[in-house]
Amino acid sequence: MNFNWTPDEAAFRQRLKDFLSQTLPKDWERFSQHGPASPALTAYARTFCGKLAKDGLLTPHWPKEIGGQGLDLWHQIILAEEMWIAGEPRGGQYMNVNWVGPTIIKYGTKAQRERYLPPITAGTALWCQGFSEPGSGSDLASLRTRAVLEGDHYRVTGQKIWTSYAGLADTCFLLCRTSEDRKAGISILLVPMDTPGITVRHIPSLIGEGDIHEVFFDDMMIPADALFGEAGQAWEIIGFGLAHERLGIPRFALARAALDRAVSVLQDQEEWSSEAVKIEAANCAALCEAARMANYAIVTRRAKGDVIGSETSSARLATIMAERRVAEFVVEYLPEALADTHPYLKMHHQRGIVAGIAAGAAEIQLNIIANDVLKLPREPR
Amino acid sequence: MDLSLTPDHLAILDALDSLAKPYASVPIGDHGCALTSPALDRELAEGGFLDVALDPDLGTVAAAVIVERLARLPFTTEAAMSALVRPLLGEVSGPICLVEEGKPRRLLRFLCEGATVVMVGNHSVSTFVATAEQVRAEPESLYGYPVAMLLVDPELIVGKILMASPEAVRTRWRIALAAEAAGLLAAALESVTAHTSDRNQFGRPLATFQALRHRLAEAQVRTNGVYWLTMKAAGTLDAGDAALAALHAQETARSVVYDFHQFLGAMGMTLEHPLHLWTYRLKLLASELGGRGAHALAAAAALWG
Repeated sequence: MNFNWTPDEAAFRQRLKDFLSQTLPKDWERFSQHGPASPALTAYARTFCGKLAKDGLLTPHWPKEIGGQGLDLWHQIILAEEMWIAGEPRGGQYMNVNWVGPTIIKYGTKAQRERYLPPITAGTALWCQGFSEPGSGSDLASLRTRAVLEGDHYRVTGQKIWTSYAGLADTCFLLCRTSEDRKAGISILLVPMDTPGITVRHIPSLIGEGDIHEVFFDDMMIPADALFGEAGQAWEIIGFGLAHERLGIPRFALARAALDRAVSVLQDQEEWSSEAVKIEAANCAALCEAARMANYAIVTRRAKGDVIGSETSSARLATIMAERRVAEFVVEYLPEALADTHPYLKMHHQRGIVAGIAAGAAEIQLNIIANDVLKLPREPR
Repeated sequence: MDLSLTPDHLAILDALDSLAKPYASVPIGDHGCALTSPALDRELAEGGFLDVALDPDLGTVAAAVIVERLARLPFTTEAAMSALVRPLLGEVSGPICLVEEGKPRRLLRFLCEGATVVMVGNHSVSTFVATAEQVRAEPESLYGYPVAMLLVDPELIVGKILMASPEAVRTRWRIALAAEAAGLLAAALESVTAHTSDRNQFGRPLATFQALRHRLAEAQVRTNGVYWLTMKAAGTLDAGDAALAALHAQETARSVVYDFHQFLGAMGMTLEHPLHLWTYRLKLLASELGGRGAHALAAAAALWG
């Protein structure tokens, strides 16, 4: 075990910090409160990601032959940490480099790779994921949006909900039903969002401007070559994608950064003498660092080529515990942060509530741990 | 950053598992709450398992790995302090019992005639070897460790003053107790998952009920966190890392122990089921070095001043 960063890893982190301090606008912290899916940040992200791409920092962990530098998983997590701590100036594009791109690299046809990867590596693409439906949230396999092959087109009818970035995305990674077979009847279509028959409605939320939407598909016709992978292969493919996403957002790092900021504010305000405050801050730090180490343990094994599934859920649960405890700490001792006094802390608070809900609810993670880590007998269905 | 066990760690664990195999199950018949074995103590000493921290190629992470693994056994042995704190103490013999200045009247784990009592003061560290007259064994204790009261105030005994800094000793102490707690938590969790997987009520195993499943899963998450915070602290020997590990260990013990007994139903109240061997040890560890609040304050001081 080695708990130190290598000189190369430390230099990479410093390079990112330097890039951020030189690139982000002076009022960034206030600006970033709009949320990663807001029109303002989405527009800014195109500029920011373009600069990242120019400096070789957008997809450094991708293979060299498709625009990356072949850097290892540790560089990927350092990149993700620094961006997320900074308020994610990549906006929704973080999804592209975390899992959409790697999934297309693994499962896409040559034509799909040639069409969709260059905009991702240039920092101009914005994807949304058409997964959840009004009747299919945690029970995703019950989804009902239907795609029926008619000649050389699929006809798609149905509704998605909670779709992040849909308002401004150019492409949707759409799950739909192509047969009645529960999981094996689900397929993926890569759908340009300007396809006739798509209607997007924004849902006002607590988590930032423009973040979640309803998306309606009314007899949308899409060429059959939009099929991604084989028909019925969706469950395997999204398992691959979500394994990246579940590790992908290092929320523990922002939680710890927000905690440090909150302590610094309390110190400046001379409110750091109370033992109760210090004890609670330390409890928050313990959860943040426990989550960090649980995540790093997974990264270690994946970096060595192990395929890690269920333990990722344990690391994710640890992250949720940390997120919530820090958010509660801020509300308890710096309630004014949720007004407009401390934009960075407000930004953390808005994003923190997502941790236990998006990308597989906390209860689903607990089920996975119970089934596959503790190997308990399964619940009857 | 690389959190994998090294080939050396793996080889040590292999050897340790072989040695510990005869002690991995609970003997049949009556035994007290504190299950010990002089043969296990002797074999560990002869095998050099508690000396690994003195070897620069192995160090304190290897020691923490050993302590965690040994704590999973139903038999208990004074490994934690010997493996992790002793390198700061010079030549000492017998089990090692640490006492904080100002808090002398506490039950001490493994205290017996011939044990080395380490007095950790605010400004100095001193040791003395306990005599029979200074020790009152408490065989009726529930704690799962052999425990005894120290009948003298260690502050009044002129012991051998050591060069070690009190802060460094406290840091090792926190890592030692966290490593022990990590193993106890893992063993207790395994014991409860086995019982609830086998025991049927309402026509199906208890572990198929979500009311238990999710709490067991949370216990797994917390236990995993204790393990990794401990290993990190053993790797860095940083005061803040050690305080966070001890805090998380004691907080996790607090949050899971009653649940674990609860999930066993009436079996959770018996001596027949071995769960108490791990959970009642955790209860005693929860008081060490001032408990959660004291570790939290130490962590806050180290992290933020």
